Amino acid sequence: MFWGKSRNIVVALEVGSTKVAAAVGEIRPDGTLALLGIGEGPSGQVRKCEIVDFEVAQGCVRDALAEAEQKTDVVIAEVYLTITGAHIRSSNTRVTTLINNDGDEITGDHIQELHDMATAQPLPTDHAIVHHLLQHYVLDDGSTTDNPVGLASKQLTAHFHQVYGLATRLQTTIRCVKELSIDVKNYALSSYATAQAVLSRNQKQLGAIVINLGGGVSDYIAYQKGAVVHTGILGVGGDHLTNDIVSGLKIPYAKAEQLKKSEGSVILHPDQKEERIMLPGAYNFEERQIYRESLNTIMQARQAEIFEIILEDLQNASFWPDFAGTVYITGGASQVKGLIELASQIFPCPVELAHQFPFDGDQNYGRRPDLSTLLGLLHYARQAELEVPATRGFARVGQSLRRALASMRLI
Amino acid sequence: MIEFKSDGPFAEKADHLFPDRVRVIGLGQTGVAVCDQLILHGHGLHDLSVFDSDQQAIESSVVPNRFLIGAEVVHGLGCSGDVELAREIVVREEERLANVASGCDFLILVLGLAGSTGVALAEHFIQLGRKTGAKVIVAGVQPFAFEGAGRREKAIEAIASLRQEADSVLVLSQDRIVEDAAAVKNVRHGFHLMHQLLAQTTQALAQIVCKRGLIQLSFADVRSLYGRYTGSEVLENCWVAHVEGDIHDDTEDLIQKLLACPMLADEAVWKLVDHAIVAVSGTYTLGLSEVQEMVGALKDRLPVNVPIATSASLDEESNEKVRMTVLLAMTTPVAVPSSDKSPEKKRSKPLQPIAETVTLPEIEARLSPPMTDKTKPPRKAKPSPDVAENQVNHAPAETGPLLVTETESETPRPSIKKGKSERFIAKQEEMQFEGPTRGRFEKTHETMYRGENLDQPTFRRRRLAIRI
Repeated sequence: MFWGKSRNIVVALEVGSTKVAAAVGEIRPDGTLALLGIGEGPSGQVRKCEIVDFEVAQGCVRDALAEAEQKTDVVIAEVYLTITGAHIRSSNTRVTTLINNDGDEITGDHIQELHDMATAQPLPTDHAIVHHLLQHYVLDDGSTTDNPVGLASKQLTAHFHQVYGLATRLQTTIRCVKELSIDVKNYALSSYATAQAVLSRNQKQLGAIVINLGGGVSDYIAYQKGAVVHTGILGVGGDHLTNDIVSGLKIPYAKAEQLKKSEGSVILHPDQKEERIMLPGAYNFEERQIYRESLNTIMQARQAEIFEIILEDLQNASFWPDFAGTVYITGGASQVKGLIELASQIFPCPVELAHQFPFDGDQNYGRRPDLSTLLGLLHYARQAELEVPATRGFARVGQSLRRALASMRLI
Repeated sequence: MIEFKSDGPFAEKADHLFPDRVRVIGLGQTGVAVCDQLILHGHGLHDLSVFDSDQQAIESSVVPNRFLIGAEVVHGLGCSGDVELAREIVVREEERLANVASGCDFLILVLGLAGSTGVALAEHFIQLGRKTGAKVIVAGVQPFAFEGAGRREKAIEAIASLRQEADSVLVLSQDRIVEDAAAVKNVRHGFHLMHQLLAQTTQALAQIVCKRGLIQLSFADVRSLYGRYTGSEVLENCWVAHVEGDIHDDTEDLIQKLLACPMLADEAVWKLVDHAIVAVSGTYTLGLSEVQEMVGALKDRLPVNVPIATSASLDEESNEKVRMTVLLAMTTPVAVPSSDKSPEKKRSKPLQPIAETVTLPEIEARLSPPMTDKTKPPRKAKPSPDVAENQVNHAPAETGPLLVTETESETPRPSIKKGKSERFIAKQEEMQFEGPTRGRFEKTHETMYRGENLDQPTFRRRRLAIRI
């Protein structure tokens, strides 16, 4: 029966520059999450995480979802979606309300009022909000708290980290999924999702920066005292390294990508100055040798530049002088050799490779850094599902019917 | 009574040559203050307008054409440094601003680079100038270092943005005058001094691009010095000194005063500059010998040997006064820290020639040896419209045989000495090669950072050698 006791399935979808991937998870009655499987396929006509050719990109999304359905035997009706792209901006904002009731006691209404005020904050033209992430509340004596309900204060201020992006670009990504009769239940900023996969509550409290080096973009998020204090997206990623190799060594893109993964390093070793790498020939490519030094110089210059730009942005943020945490690096492009060594030379704080939290269920994907955003989105989806009250009665019937119709691709 | 009427067959051409070809627009609070200085010091002959979103600044201005913008949005309170808000206001006011760039050949935009209204308006006017065919010169001033990193960042972004579109961008740094006695005494004096320097820069620019001088330079000369950078790879690229005196004053004294100007007080400036433009103006009694004497004295007294291009014009209202403004330029980045201590990346447009004024005795000395086959003039290149214009500029009727402008091929740190054999080369722009493609990212929007296109390979932008 459709309205019978159904499994609580959540699906995370990431439309990236290199690949499109959909992860299917199940939230068990005890609230834990089990990974059922992942469907993925190469991404087409998505550059810097923005869709260049709608139809081709939509085809890739369809294939990834179909593979996920096939692997997990689940009918996907709705997904959580990652949002990224160089058009995304962020800022820290704060709103204040006066407490006028008896005893100046803060109630849930005051909290709601502050959230409404934050939502009503003006944005640049053509921009739409992605997240309002609460940092903390400040009472009239300057003390901060995460839950002020029940406390007494003359006024209450809420600090938010607000993330917004160009409405048209956001719509394009969402429409790409919705036109496949798949509902987008919610979306999350890519870096925020990544942090859910690799940072514990304790790490967020101590201070942490997660840099997700993707194919098209490099996004980063900074936590301090448990709250998001800074986010950023640089429209440069691993694809740029490959593109630089193509340009510098005059070889085809596919060869350059393969060379980057198998031989490339972002650290220059003086003893490798004369060392050469053989590129095997193919029907349209003559066998040739290239200098390892040239390959590494190209890659090192680009990767160092990415880190330097990120560092400069972080240093200009207000949290940086008090930051005493660690930089965690993840993402598909973090698999390049020598990356942590290079990052350690640039960032004036400890740098580590991020490790994802272990999942129950399918264990094939736990150690892939290129899936950290997708798996983080599953954590985000789990949290969101647990916060929303369970549907009952007719709403539940409606939900079941929608799933049934979706399985037939009627809506 | 003889009345001159411009209704003859060449009336249209005559009108095109003389009347208000230059429009000076003050943008934001700094722009308003600079235009006020122009009026207060009697340079208000140009077509002057000021725009700001701050009602107080507009209402206190003495410029007749003053426009308050964005009153509906910010209620005359200014944009408080919010560039996005300022851009929104500019979009709302598009209709009012639409005709600003029409009916003139040159727009000189004056603004503070850390502001919001000024920067947003400048971006818009540059676009308007492009549509109407007017050349746009931007004269902007960087904030003091003590104003904070935020304003500095804004100025850097503004410089990168303006250099993308404007024909020439002159960037002055307020920090150069921070140790001036007047500025030390009173902060208002410091700002006032900067506004005066910007006003004198604007006046000199207007004189240079107007074709009514005795010794003619042109817009091409300004652009060859200040239109080289396309981003914020170099920030400060202009230093100004100005002196005003009686026509009968001792030339040496004038030059001494000129070199004592606050912007040139820092010796580091002389390690940066590589070209200079001198604009001299005076009453009808100003003779060529005086101009020659002044420029000669300046050359002798300059701490470095840089090519000097001279423009001289007559100013009917100068009242026995002579004014001399020196615009120094850095056309090639050097590894000497500037006042703002920012790292400078070495990248510039292909170098273009600059005209240098050479006086009659020098020309005669050069022409005196008999011409042999080896000293034949170079073959003439097919003139492009620009070249033709430049050639006309360099042979004005007033110049006659007494003063000749010549061009010299570009060298990064020039040192012109008299004995060196020099050739007369037609002034023309170098042909630009087509820029490198962005490969995989050709269809996407460009990722720009501090004026650099990050889609271009890093090794290429940083000029790293790659062995293939």
